[in-house]
Parts: sequence; C-alpha cells; structure tokens
Amino acid sequence: MSKKLKNSLISLTLIIAAVVLGIFATNKPVKSSSSSDRIPIVFWHEMGGPSEDALEAVVNGFNKSQSKYKVIPKYQGSYDEAIQKILQTHGTNTSPAIFQSFDIATAQMIHSKYTTPVQNFIDKDKDFDIEKIAPAARSFYSNDGKQQAMPFNTSQPVLYYNASLLKKYHITPPPVSPTYSDITRVAKQLYERSDHKTKGMTVQIYGWLLEQATTNAGQALANNDNGHSGIPTEVKLNNPSTVKFLEWIRENIKSGDFINYGSGASAGANQIAGFLSGKVGIFIQSSASMGKLTKNNPNKLGITYFPHPDGQKANGVSIGGAALWISNDKSKAVQQGAYEFSKYALSPAVQAQWQKSTGYLALNKDAQKEKILKDLYAKNPEAKVPGQQLADAKPNYVNSGILLEGMQVTRQLEEVAMEEAYNGGDIAKALSHADKNVNQNIATSNRANGYK
Amino acid sequence: MLKSTTPTMVGSEAKAKKKRHSFSLNAKDKYFALLFLGPSLLLLSVFVFYPMFRTLYISMFLTNTLGKTTVFNGFGNYATLLSSPEYIASMGSTLFYVLAVTALTVSIGLLLANLASQKLAGIGIFRTLYSITMGVSVSVAAIFWLFIFNPSTGFFTIISNALHLPVINWLTDPKMAMWAVIITTVWMHLGFTFLILLGSISSVPTTLYEAASVEGASERRQFFKITIPMISPTLFFVSTITLIDSFKSFGLIDLITKGGPTNSTNMLVYRLYKDAFYSGNYGQASSEAIILTIIIAFFTFLQFKFLEKRVNY
Repeated sequence: MSKKLKNSLISLTLIIAAVVLGIFATNKPVKSSSSSDRIPIVFWHEMGGPSEDALEAVVNGFNKSQSKYKVIPKYQGSYDEAIQKILQTHGTNTSPAIFQSFDIATAQMIHSKYTTPVQNFIDKDKDFDIEKIAPAARSFYSNDGKQQAMPFNTSQPVLYYNASLLKKYHITPPPVSPTYSDITRVAKQLYERSDHKTKGMTVQIYGWLLEQATTNAGQALANNDNGHSGIPTEVKLNNPSTVKFLEWIRENIKSGDFINYGSGASAGANQIAGFLSGKVGIFIQSSASMGKLTKNNPNKLGITYFPHPDGQKANGVSIGGAALWISNDKSKAVQQGAYEFSKYALSPAVQAQWQKSTGYLALNKDAQKEKILKDLYAKNPEAKVPGQQLADAKPNYVNSGILLEGMQVTRQLEEVAMEEAYNGGDIAKALSHADKNVNQNIATSNRANGYK
Repeated sequence: MLKSTTPTMVGSEAKAKKKRHSFSLNAKDKYFALLFLGPSLLLLSVFVFYPMFRTLYISMFLTNTLGKTTVFNGFGNYATLLSSPEYIASMGSTLFYVLAVTALTVSIGLLLANLASQKLAGIGIFRTLYSITMGVSVSVAAIFWLFIFNPSTGFFTIISNALHLPVINWLTDPKMAMWAVIITTVWMHLGFTFLILLGSISSVPTTLYEAASVEGASERRQFFKITIPMISPTLFFVSTITLIDSFKSFGLIDLITKGGPTNSTNMLVYRLYKDAFYSGNYGQASSEAIILTIIIAFFTFLQFKFLEKRVNY
C-alpha cells in the first residue's frame, strides 16, 4: 500500500468518524438553562396565523402562572397530517405529552388507546368543575360516560351576511335560525336589487358543512347512533336531508345568485376575499373566521344561525374544532402537568381572551362574566350569536359528532359528491356513489382493525 | 513522478479494459470496490433499498388505525385500485397532465430560447425576464396564480368583466382546473428549460448558419435543419427531466386545487400522499407507490429507447 493511499484512508476514516459522532452528538437533547428545574411538557398543536399567536399567549400565561411545569408549544401543520404524526411517533421520545386533535379524529384517538382520558384527572381534582364547560362540547369528546379529551378550540358553523349591503338595498335580514327559503329570499333580492353586481350567496364545497346540514335536519349519517352505541358499519349520505340541502344550493345556482368558490383552503380564502369586497352577500363558515371578518371589514357584519330545511325545527348543529388529549406514553408527573395546562386553558379569563382574539367560543360559562367578553358584546353584539347557537343545541347523538374512523376519507368523498352536484350532476346518484366508496372504506378499515 | 505515473496508468487502463470483458475481480480490486462503494451502498440501503422493500411489504397488507400491518391481503390492494374507476381516472388525468406539461414547456421554452438567442441590443433584459421563474418558489407561484384565478377579484375575472366576456371558473370547473394547474406548472418549469435551451442554442457553431445562408436556406429551414438537430441532446435531457418532474408534481396541486374539483386534478402522487397522510391507509398508499414506480420506470425506458435513437450526440 502506497503512502498516499494510506493517508487518504486515514482521512476517510476520520471523516466517517466525524460524521458518525456528529449524528450521535446532535441526537442528544439540548437542555436549556431556563427550564432546568421545570418539567417540560411538549404540546403539539395545529393553530396557524392569528390563532397561533393567541395560543402562544395561553401557553406563556400558563408558564408564568406556576413554576413546576414548562409547556413547549410546537406547530405541526394541518389537522389531518398531525393525526398521522401523533399516531406514528407514539412511544418514542419525540412524541408530545399533550396534543390538539380535531373533531373528526375522535374515534381514531379513542380506539388507538394511546391517550389517558382526562376524566381520570378530573375525578381526582376538587378544584375543577366540568359542569361549567358547555355540554355540547363536552359530549362531543366523551365516550362510555368518560370525558376522553378536554374540549378546547370550539367553533360553530354560522351564516354570515353583509348587513350594510342588505340595508342599502332595503332587504329584511334573515331571522335567527333561518330556513333554506329565508336565505334564498335574501340571496335573490340582493342579486336582483344590486343589478347583478353582488352575488347573493355561496356555500363552500366543504364536507363539514354538508355534515352540519344533515345534523341540523336531525339526521344521523352513520349507523349505530352515529357510532355512539357501537362501531359504525354503514354510512348513508344519500338521505332526504342531504338531498334537500344540495337541492337548495342547486336552486340558487340555477337562478344565478350563487357563486361557487370550490373546495380547499384557497376556496376559503377566496370566499372571504369576495365577501369583504362586497362581491357576495352571504356565506356559511366556522365562527372561528370572525376574527378575519371583523378586523378589515368596511361593512357591518351580520351573523345568524346555520339554516335548516323548511317545515321542520332545527336540531342544532354540532361543534367543530379540536380538543386537547393527553398521551399515555409519558410519566405520571408529565401527564399531570399536561392536565394542569388543559385546565388552565379552560379557565374563565383565558377562555374569554381566547374567544376575543380567535372567534372560537369561550366554553367556560363563567367566561361570559369576564369584562373582555362584555366589552366585546357591547361593541359587536353579533359576536354573541355563535355562543347562543351553541347554548340552544340540546346534545343528542346526532349533533355530538360522528364517531367513525376514516372520517377524513368520508369527508373527501362528500366533497366530490358536492362538486358533482354543484356542477349539475344528478344529486342522488352522486351521493349513492359516495356511499358506495365510503362503505367500502369502512368495511376495509373495520377488517384491518379487527372490529366485527 | 510524472515519468513513473504515465506508464502505470496506461498499464492499469489496459488491465481495466481486459477486466470489463471477463467480469472477474482479483482480491485487491474487490477490496477497493468495497472500500469505495461501501459508504454509498450503506447509505443507499438505509435510505433507498430498505424503504423500497418495506413499501412492497406493506402494500400486501391492510393497515389499522395505528398504521400497523394487520391483515395479509396479497394483491388485494392492487386489485382494489385497478378496479376502481377513480384510480383509473386519476391515471388518465396524470397522463394528460404530464404530456401537456412536457409538450408545452419544451415547445414554449424552445421558442423563447430561439428568440432570445438573437443578438440584439438589450436582449439581456429578455433573457433575465424569461428565466426569472427559476427563482420563484412553488408556494409563491401558487399564491400568485391563485390571485389571478380568484373567481370574484381575480385578474382574469376583471378582464373578462371589462370586455363583457363570460367568466371562466378556473378552479371550480373540472376541465378548467386541469388547465389552471397545467398553466401554472408550465410557467414554473419554463425558466429552467429556457435557460438550458438558450445555452445549448448559443453553443451551436455560427459557421453552420453562415454556410447555410450562403446556400440560400431560409431562417425556418435553418432552425429545423441545424438548430434542432444540434441541440437534440439537450432537448432530450430537458424533456426527460420535465416529464419525470411533472409526474412527481405535488406542491402546486396541493396549494392550488387540492386534487379537486371532482378529483379532476387528483394526480397519482397527490392521491398517494392523501391516502397515506390524510387518510392513514398505508397499505393502499404503498401499492399506489409501487404502481407509480412501475409507470415512471416504463416511461423513462420508452424515452431512452425511442427518443435517444434520434438524438445526435
């Protein structure tokens, strides 16, 4: 072996050694000096934009309020993607101690058995009164009489309208809890009286809204009481309530007062841009959009309940949003800290501030007594509406969410059916086609999970 | 030093030539082969081969809520996919998209490169403008185009309204959404394609054109008979890259249409991502990955087999 080769061999070994050392060295957790005596509580969340700032304020408030724990918030992207990350990292040292998981992943989280029900902590805690938390939100995240997760950012689907434009054209605003034909009337009048400059209404192609329309009509989508009395084996999207909802939209598309913004996040943004610039007068969306709609809106904002079919009473919609879950792969002390944080997040003052800055609803009844919310209502009386809608709904299995695994797939297929209906396809055919695919997916998923 | 190295190098080269025919390695060669290939083989097996075989394995199973393989399904996942009209439609739309993007990118790129290769005053400005999309990231491009396509405040809508033309629903009409994605992708790819083709066109010897002009060949004839054959290796390279790139298109679709409306832009890669990381169907997503690998391999093979023959290197 020549000397040159020997030298290059040595340097190669050195490089490899350095790389290997580097990998191992960076793998070691770096301890920050400030948190040395506190127990770190890693918190995964999916709040972006202004809601993220508001959430960080909650975390900072908790970290300042005590000296035992330190909550470390980590943004994880969209709700859907976060679920997969949470499930795949469970049991490793990167997994979170507490995490935010959205409404439709509730069944998945319960069945994963990766979490400790918050009920276990509530039972031992004398200071915390769960009765103070809105019942509709509580029932959504409970199973077998146990509170599985702490409801957190909770929204309601509501109907927004441009009150200034309605006033300008002398149109009577829609009533509280309107019917489909009430909305059609306002949309048509707006479109006609504005000389076709303003479209009357839009409904985003968003599975959540389709589910809410069926819920508000009192119709369960999945069998076994929407999954509340057993694992669902069948979903029926092709039902009279869904058909009525889509027919209502089609009627408005045909008469020209409806504008379709499509699906996805860009559709949501386009819709808000259209509404703020007075191009469309009515739209249905989560109450969590209120922040964006009050900040830069030159017009007066009107809000009313989610509409329901004519000739029947509204059943009340279910909540949207997410809850806080405690992972069971962490030590008892860490889990306790996670619970303390969730409890803090639901305290009246924090909830009041949270509602003001995000549009998500304050779930703690006592939050309504806080000055922040009283001031908010004095300035914007319409900000009260989503909370009233939440209080009006009597929890039943129809409006307590669908406990079905694979809701993400179901929602995607619902949206395809909506798109077909919006583009002029046969409504019943589109829905039964979606049913076929959803049920095939449920059958496969139940087989893979060993459910009978 | 020089004196001694030259003969040995020639010697070893001759040896190497001999070995290429016999395919037998002596112990020393084996040692060096292992030494030099070892590190990359190690990395490749950790990051490429293992995931590949793991994907193949998972594709034969159903996966539960936790993403763990539970029920052996043989080729069941493949059968479900290939018998699903949605998946077949997805294949069709991917094919259409890939071919349209490749054809448009290469032809528009060639046109622009040919224009910009003229020696005129201020041509540098145009060269910069045409290649500027190289510096734009996917997310910026998507947001920019979303503003243009916005149904109520978008640029296209404003123009249509001003000219009293019917408004095109770029993102909500299934057919137009496909074109919206194609236009955006072509726009994104154009900068790179343009730059590569421009470089290639400028390196064609001017003497060829001079000789052709003397012969009385028209500009058009010169373009087809001199420029195209001379830059054919680059054209081949650019079309292969664009084809493979557009097969893997993800960012723009995710940001602009999310696969909608009515699945019209739900291409294979995007569908795979959604099935795995939205829906958690890892078994099915793995079979989709295997199918996609086969398709891309097939196209690359076709391209090398047929296109390469016409390329003058």
